[in-house]
Amino acid sequence: MSRQINIALIGNPNTGKTSVFNALTGLNQQVGNYPGITVEKKQGICKLDRNLKGHIIDLPGTYSLNASSLDENVVIELLLNKNDKDFPDVIVVVSDVENLKRNLLLFTQIKDLEIPTILAINMADRMDYKGISIDIPYLEKELNTKIALISTRKKTGISDLKALIQNYKDLSTEPCLHASEIDAEYFGRLRHAFPNQLLYKLWLVITQDVNFGKTNRKEMDAIASFKTKSESDLKRLQQKETIKRYQFINNVLKVGQTVDASQTKDLRSRLDRILTHKVYGYLIFFAILLLIFQAIYDWSSYPMDLIDTAFANLSEWVKTSLPAGDFTNLLAEGIISGLGGIVIFIPQIAFLFLFISILEESGYMSRVVFLMDRIMRKFGLSGKSVVPLISGTACAIPAIMATRNIESWKERLITILVTPFTTCSARLPVYLIIIALVIPEGSILGLSYQALTLMLLYLIGFFSAVFSAYLLNKVLNIKSKTFFVVEMPNYKLPLLKNVGLTVLEKTKSFVLGAGKIILAISIILWVLASYGPGDNFNNAEEIITEQYASQNLSEEELNKKIASHKLEHSFIGITGRTIEPAIRPLGYDWKIGIAIVSSFAAREVFVGTLATIYSVGNDDEETIKNRMAGEVNPILGGPLFNFASGISLLLFYAFAMQCMSTLAIVKRETNSWKWPTYQFVVMTALAYVVALASYQFLS
Amino acid sequence: MNTTLADLKKGEHAVITDVSSTEIPLKLLEMGCLPGNNVQLVQMAPFADPMYLNINGSHLAIRKETAVHVLIEKL
Amino acid sequence: MNPFIQKVLVVTALVIAVTFLVSKFLMPKKAEKNSACGKNDCGCH
Repeated sequence: MSRQINIALIGNPNTGKTSVFNALTGLNQQVGNYPGITVEKKQGICKLDRNLKGHIIDLPGTYSLNASSLDENVVIELLLNKNDKDFPDVIVVVSDVENLKRNLLLFTQIKDLEIPTILAINMADRMDYKGISIDIPYLEKELNTKIALISTRKKTGISDLKALIQNYKDLSTEPCLHASEIDAEYFGRLRHAFPNQLLYKLWLVITQDVNFGKTNRKEMDAIASFKTKSESDLKRLQQKETIKRYQFINNVLKVGQTVDASQTKDLRSRLDRILTHKVYGYLIFFAILLLIFQAIYDWSSYPMDLIDTAFANLSEWVKTSLPAGDFTNLLAEGIISGLGGIVIFIPQIAFLFLFISILEESGYMSRVVFLMDRIMRKFGLSGKSVVPLISGTACAIPAIMATRNIESWKERLITILVTPFTTCSARLPVYLIIIALVIPEGSILGLSYQALTLMLLYLIGFFSAVFSAYLLNKVLNIKSKTFFVVEMPNYKLPLLKNVGLTVLEKTKSFVLGAGKIILAISIILWVLASYGPGDNFNNAEEIITEQYASQNLSEEELNKKIASHKLEHSFIGITGRTIEPAIRPLGYDWKIGIAIVSSFAAREVFVGTLATIYSVGNDDEETIKNRMAGEVNPILGGPLFNFASGISLLLFYAFAMQCMSTLAIVKRETNSWKWPTYQFVVMTALAYVVALASYQFLS
Repeated sequence: MNTTLADLKKGEHAVITDVSSTEIPLKLLEMGCLPGNNVQLVQMAPFADPMYLNINGSHLAIRKETAVHVLIEKL
Repeated sequence: MNPFIQKVLVVTALVIAVTFLVSKFLMPKKAEKNSACGKNDCGCH
């Protein structure tokens, strides 16, 4: 029978803590959410020896226990609540050999909590390179701990770390310095009032407003009311505490660590000189962006075609192998198509996150944030909004989740609200078919008009995001204390394992987040499209057969016509007809109306729906295109899909907020109904107006 | 005259003399921005905002609006 | 499988789909708001 202990991994960002976590848990990890708040909870299992398992929580990276953001709050909440089921039996503080001084601040604070603590010094492989040497026994003595020197890159030291964890009971729980000396009188009184509590814990509760779960509430309230000092006094005391801690650390490191400056070869400053250059920095960044988009576009078309065919075949197979009937049809046409609509975007999303993850792991992303911050701020965004905006070109869902590291609530909110404007991959199938239909052949300066139009649409997406951010910034009256800091880590070669796991995790978030919703809506839409009220629907076969009796149609042709008639008189068809007056000024007819309504499930459903409407047997773009080209505008006579209505439709899709899954994520991340509702109403209204204006203007 | 971090030019070194505890969040102090520590300006974005600094060994970037509250003495 | 069972399955699927969407969008927030807000913004607006 194996026992399990709780281990908490804590440390500054950029220390390779994630690599340590990955090294200890491998694939035995799961990512979820802390209940009620939008902070990622990462946990995993590590086998320590035959009878011992470690349940590891990878706490959010933080520089100090004095929390200044939601995820840092999570750290204290866990560490101060002995009754939490995840309360650690042992803590591993991960630090890196080049930033030891700063990393140790957190370490000394953790030690004050009197929980067994191990110091893991990572990136040991860089010691020679930087001319650093460490006196481990000395440090172990002064810091009252045991040290594991590891290198996740070279995969050394992990077994030492595991051994230390196993023997956690041997670790000292003595703090390494006495922070209470900063104001002996005050702390003396504190100790007197609450003799049963850890002094440092009391201090943390007083200086911060933290929630400890229902069990400790009353006690904590009593402590929190021990406010015999004013807020500015407390702040000054915190400053004193920080200075005192650093004095301690400096003294320890003066002996325990030696840096031979002559040895250091500084790759970081050499690279930074170019990558953050006033001119070249930006040029390089845009070049990289272009490369990424090109690669994603090229690389994903092959797997996407494969997926498309596979699902189409599966659908056929189900239809023929299972007994004929309503449910079989639902399975083949509703469920499998719905699933296919989700799976087909996995290549694009995976590739985008592959690139973003590589840029982040290498350290380059911080430089991008640095370069873009000022410009972004003019539009109410933050330099840290770059990643979400770029991610939004694959899918808005992981993009919106990536806004969590933006410190200012206002900047974060604006980023969340405008990200859906960027052209996500789901809009592409719609764009492509309309462009093929209405944009003429021919080229200018070597670029075809069609390609130019596509590029233009991407630019429209980006600029409308930026412009609406600008407006929102002026209009929204939210006061938020902004404090922007971005660490510029050393450049390093991305670890494949970390990148791989990140891609896996982000793709999963898309599939599960969007997938369930899209599937549910697909089912509903299928039902609405396959059933209809009244005789017109129920007697479709008779009506059509009679109608076309004189013409000698093949059975296939007849079936297609029946399907089309059924669709017209189904529930969804009736909806399409009902909204027709509203959309006619945009140049659409009820058939397009149906397609627009159904693309609320997933925009890519647009093409499939059109296929059914125009009684095309398959999703072949060419066939649909030809069929659509032949449609006649009931009022004006000319072709329905002309330049004007085509552009109108393109612009409608560029601005409309149709993705239910995105709205669900926005609701979750902003913890309110207000924002997704505004998004939906405003964006759809905007889409309507722009489409209307363009159609009227162009025709 | 009070020199602040915002007055540093690229490559210049300085010592931090005072950090206003009311204006500067604790976090920055905890990252090493303390009186007595060395600071060097590594790089400046256009319009001198943000500023990429090396504070006491920590490489980080902060906005100008924060930098003006850190008093320094140029070396 | 007779057509009746098929119809039943369809209705079941429909009900599950609708219930799922309703719970996702319309249910009051399930989690008690652990307002670990403190002096900082944490999205609880």
